[in-house]
Amino acid sequence: MKLLEVNSVTKKFGALTAVDKASIFINQNEIVGLIGPNGSGKSTLLHTVCGRTIATEGQILLQGLDITKQDPQDRAIAGMAIKFQLARIYLEKTVRENLLISLQAKETIWSQLRNKSLAKFEEKITTLADEFQLADYLNEFAKSLSHGQQQWLEIAMAMASDPILLLLDEPTAGMSPKERADTAILIKKASKKCGVLIVEHDLDFIKEICDRISVLHQGNIIATGTSAEIEKDPKVKEVYLTRV
Amino acid sequence: MLSVEMCWGQAGIFTFGQAALFGLGGYTVGLITKNSSITDIGVLLLMAIVIGAVAGLIIGIFLFSGKRVGELYVVLVTLAISYIFERLANSWTVLGSGNGIPGIPSPTLFGMEIKSIIGLFILAFTVFALILFICIFLVNSQFGLTMNAVRDDEERAEFFGYKRSRIQIVVFVFAAVLASIGGALFAVTESFVSSSMTGLGLSTTIVLWVVLGGRGTFFGPLIALAVLQAVNTKMQEVLPSLWPILVGLLLVLAMIFLPKGLMSLPATIRESLRKKSSV
Repeated sequence: MKLLEVNSVTKKFGALTAVDKASIFINQNEIVGLIGPNGSGKSTLLHTVCGRTIATEGQILLQGLDITKQDPQDRAIAGMAIKFQLARIYLEKTVRENLLISLQAKETIWSQLRNKSLAKFEEKITTLADEFQLADYLNEFAKSLSHGQQQWLEIAMAMASDPILLLLDEPTAGMSPKERADTAILIKKASKKCGVLIVEHDLDFIKEICDRISVLHQGNIIATGTSAEIEKDPKVKEVYLTRV
Repeated sequence: MLSVEMCWGQAGIFTFGQAALFGLGGYTVGLITKNSSITDIGVLLLMAIVIGAVAGLIIGIFLFSGKRVGELYVVLVTLAISYIFERLANSWTVLGSGNGIPGIPSPTLFGMEIKSIIGLFILAFTVFALILFICIFLVNSQFGLTMNAVRDDEERAEFFGYKRSRIQIVVFVFAAVLASIGGALFAVTESFVSSSMTGLGLSTTIVLWVVLGGRGTFFGPLIALAVLQAVNTKMQEVLPSLWPILVGLLLVLAMIFLPKGLMSLPATIRESLRKKSSV
């Protein structure tokens, strides 16, 4: 069984068709990249997968479970986690609190009122902070972190829930080459625990870390394959690579 | 005030309806004491809690179940609720119409009548201290972090798996209970209830305390409440027509120059001094 199956998904906004019968799939522990020129429908497709918008037509299956019409919280409970394009972390909270917010999301209110899981989560917070190079900043406010660290914090928050599928919307946007290289290592490490779908503009980054790449153009998937296959594809060359 | 702080300050639910819930608690006590011989404060508070919780649950489900709604929607609906309740209290004979319900008897505790001003003060203060303790406990628990997560970014919280609507309904019900208890205490200490304790005026005043004191803290709004109430009586005598305008102006200035309220004043001064010294 595939981890994620997006079958002929269409998303229309009035008369505009942003995504047109797009199909992709992700296997367990696979990193799949979604690329395409601006306005090609990458973000819309990602949003239909994560539940920010509901697909007009088609079907989305997560480990065989139909999540097409589910709310984001139900998809999160089913094992999906997302890092947004602009890091959406809690700037007025410390790094520790940010991680705790993510860790306790699926706890019942009653359990939260009794601080039942605090000790259990403390160990996990330390592990995540070490893994994402945030150990020295646990008690710092998230707003004091650098841009790259804020992006890592959001990925760490996404990974905190032990997702089966991690969605990353432009994870390296605005990063320095060093931060970008470190992010590649972090994502590869994350893929040992779950499948990863990345929307990214940085083609070199995508080629470096993805097992497979799908190319979107005007809402349609025009090619899917390894980076070598994509580079050779005449349609991709015509509509995308020549513009980069 | 604690009710608005829990709703708005901690969970981001900007409500103008707490005066209606405050009035509900007051009228519950007024109607019970008028139509029965019950004066036991425990029973009266329990009834106010139940009525407040039911009202909070109905309003909360209406506001928060289903898709996310904007802050403006919550403001308008709660404003309307305050307005409707005030009109109802003014016109419905069961609630005493414009005269309200006067002559509410002194409360009793274990059969002993609490009549003196000091006794009533101790009663009100004890209940207030207990509620404040519960609020502080809630805010410092893991659930406090959950409330803040929903307050600061509702959508993000949903993507982590938080059941946003359930959390907002729980907080709203709790806040409704606090407001209702406040109204019940007002009724037994003042011996009357009237429509003036239910309307938009009180709702706005409470929001003003929270804005001035500092949203997200308990002690800032308490200080603002104490200062404003202390000044209020005198100023209404000295500048009867100008004082409400000055209060409004104060609110506007606070929102522009001190958006985080009085509690942020030391940090704001420190920050501006640091900037000056670094220039």
